[in-house]
Amino acid sequence: MALIKICSIDAVPPGGSFRAEVPGLPPLAVFNLKDGFFVINDTCTHGEASLCDGEVEDGQVECPWHNARFCIKTGQALTFPAVEAQKSYPATCIGEDVMIDFQETV
Amino acid sequence: MTPQFHIQLQTSATDASPAHYTCDANDTLLRAGLRQGLGLAYECNVGACGSCKFDLIDGEVDDLWPEAPGLRPKERERGKRLACQCVPRSDCTIKLRSGHEYVPQIQPRRHRASLISKTMLTSDIAIFTFQTSSPARFLAGQYALISHARLGQLRAYSMANLPNQQGLWQFGIRRVTGGKMSNLLFDAVQLQEPGTEAHMNELRDELSIDVPYGLAYLRQEITRPIVCIGGGSGLAPLLSILRQVGTDSAHHAIPTLLYGGRGPDDIPDVPTMLAEEGITLRFHPVVSVPELAQAGGWTGTVGFVHDTIHHHLTLALSEYEFYLAGPPPMIEATVRFLQLQGNVPAQQIHFDRFF
Repeated sequence: MALIKICSIDAVPPGGSFRAEVPGLPPLAVFNLKDGFFVINDTCTHGEASLCDGEVEDGQVECPWHNARFCIKTGQALTFPAVEAQKSYPATCIGEDVMIDFQETV
Repeated sequence: MTPQFHIQLQTSATDASPAHYTCDANDTLLRAGLRQGLGLAYECNVGACGSCKFDLIDGEVDDLWPEAPGLRPKERERGKRLACQCVPRSDCTIKLRSGHEYVPQIQPRRHRASLISKTMLTSDIAIFTFQTSSPARFLAGQYALISHARLGQLRAYSMANLPNQQGLWQFGIRRVTGGKMSNLLFDAVQLQEPGTEAHMNELRDELSIDVPYGLAYLRQEITRPIVCIGGGSGLAPLLSILRQVGTDSAHHAIPTLLYGGRGPDDIPDVPTMLAEEGITLRFHPVVSVPELAQAGGWTGTVGFVHDTIHHHLTLALSEYEFYLAGPPPMIEATVRFLQLQGNVPAQQIHFDRFF
């Protein structure tokens, strides 16, 4: 169990995303949805785009480069041309911070 | 004279020095930008892929195809439009993604063209040759947009030949039931046989080809062995790539072509065709419909082309460079196989998404 802080809650607008850089981890995309905070790798598995530049809709984020969509909660690749899932991290909020357990990745 | 409008391009909200270009009232926002050397995001050019979606910040446009499948209804509700389907009606400011990978190496132009010949390749695909007065400049694997004033619509077809000074353009076109452009072309040549020149003349200088477009061109600087995978009229760009590889001394490995059809009648004799040009390749055809295979006396592989990839390649799949062209389900299944089971990086798989 290794909970680490990746950003503060205030950094992530409701319904939007924030790109967090944490030493030792790839860039992370933090999403603030109605039912909580969710964290997946930020760099699209298909190209090299940042998912934080993509649009969020119905629990999905669309890659701004090739319009592939991913499930924010699971990282699953939902539409072509993405075929590989984004790695996702269980996230919890403690006080004002968004934390992930980076050993317990799914 | 066609009115011309001034287009200001915002690539991001924080862009300090937005690019500018001009767009004729009869050109699309996408193609005018590409003609002037800007790297505007796109892939299919015909409203299907959604890569060129943009926000209209200021100004007026006409949307030529408001139902184009490249945008979801929710995106339209938010005001998104496709740059390949919009022509300006005033000066405009637009926000559209751009990138160096989209900067055209050869800036596209519109040419008047005449249809000069047709050669059947399979039971329903023919190679059509067009002539323009200026040289044929493109990269192997790219496509053209062909239009005819009478039809008022564009069709994307890939070149099958190599760039040349004579202004000859060859396209592999499949006759599609109810397809206006493919039937116009097939009928034009059919009707002039035998000896009725009139119909051939009918298409003289009446066709317009807007060319070159597309990102699935041969990366000549990459010398990994080449594997082309395709089906249907996807053969055309793969022929161009194989021809280019055959003339390029940097590529030592013999290229491979995996080609799928429904039945034996769909499989062209590519090795013979290219052998006449001194080009060798490894050709692995596969047909997907068992009844057609049986009826046609097929002794080769029956199945889907993506299921045969690993049978024919001896190196690890990530050691190859892949070029794909064909029906969308074939492309999707192939990409899925290559990336998920073959660990091939996406950057080594090239195709233009017409879906």
